[in-house]
Amino acid sequence: MTDLPPTRLPDEEYRWMSWVLRGGLLASLTLMSAALVAYALTHPGLSLADALATNPILQFLGLSGLAGGLARGDPAAYLTLGVIALVATPILRVATGFYYFRRGHERGMEAITLTVLVLLFVGLLVLGPIVR
Amino acid sequence: MNLDLVLPLLVLLAVAGGLVGSLTGLGGAVVVIPALVLLFGVPIPVAIGTGFVTILATSSAAGAAYVRDHLSDLRIGMFLEIATVPGALVGATATVLLTHASLQDGLLVALGIVLLLVVPGAVARRHEELPGPVHPDARSRAFGLSGSYQDQVLGREVPYQAENTTPALGVMFGAGVVSGLFGIGAGVFKVLALERYLRVPMKVATATSNFMIGVTAAAGGGILFVAGFINPLIAAPVALGTAAGAWGGSRLLPMLRNRTVRLVFIPFIVILAVETILRGLGLP
Repeated sequence: MTDLPPTRLPDEEYRWMSWVLRGGLLASLTLMSAALVAYALTHPGLSLADALATNPILQFLGLSGLAGGLARGDPAAYLTLGVIALVATPILRVATGFYYFRRGHERGMEAITLTVLVLLFVGLLVLGPIVR
Repeated sequence: MNLDLVLPLLVLLAVAGGLVGSLTGLGGAVVVIPALVLLFGVPIPVAIGTGFVTILATSSAAGAAYVRDHLSDLRIGMFLEIATVPGALVGATATVLLTHASLQDGLLVALGIVLLLVVPGAVARRHEELPGPVHPDARSRAFGLSGSYQDQVLGREVPYQAENTTPALGVMFGAGVVSGLFGIGAGVFKVLALERYLRVPMKVATATSNFMIGVTAAAGGGILFVAGFINPLIAAPVALGTAAGAWGGSRLLPMLRNRTVRLVFIPFIVILAVETILRGLGLP
């Protein structure tokens, strides 16, 4: 069926990518679980309608707001941090790919992964704030 | 409804979404978004934001296992991200801008119709266990888009290579736009591009789609996060359930035949298409 030999990436790359995904997810889920329990305990009787009407993430979208919330021990700030960790996990995975392609001197794939990284940051740091 | 009661229900819903998402490569938001809107009355922009969280959790949980097992093709996945990420940025930006306009309904109907157009090709290949002869193009050769995986069901190492990279990149850009617009993984299109155009085996297509959807979701979800469309009180329980369901799905996939995975995949395309058209027409 094939006349192009199967391309082998180093096992180490597979192992690290798997660990990046697993580690990021675990960190995110740990933060979210603990913060969700703390939020429920500190806001007894909260209804779904209340939760939807008062999205707690809005006050933590800025860096200073988030840092202040984390310092105060606000559960909603830690929930926000959990979401950030979840969004950051695949970005870190792309960065891992870039590192390995650069190390393997694969210029084409290195350029592709770098472009993807730049685009991801453009979305987060430029497009998001513009359309907010 | 009290949040204490809603949280376990959200977790259960997300377990189902994660299981389906990881088995089919669709991402799970297909199940979660309509359920949030129809069962819990969550506004569509927040449901779309939560959809991205579902995809991120599915991709990380299932992707970790598929990458560890060498079932995801890292090179092909990262090569195609050059098309899906710009698409997702365009789609997510459009979602924010169109939130207060009425154009989204027409787009939903169009999406549903496009999804239905995918079905005949998938049905025609329903008995195909592995792709036939493949002729790699110049780009496929230049980037070394080939690989192999250990098929537990067939009991042997299966080599494969990619062809038709130009149409595949086009479909992937469209998949990114759709993902960004609607908060779904658009795995239907990603699996289509991987299997139909690049001609990689179904299981590799599913695992690579799972691997890729996280980056597409990070592009789209990042914009919606910054725009304040993600509510962590809804997103957190959904992420927990999705991760559990996706982990279960990733344990199941290697034990299934490619044909079985496709048989699971086809009905979900039809359900998604009908559901999308109905939502676009304003019907429950």
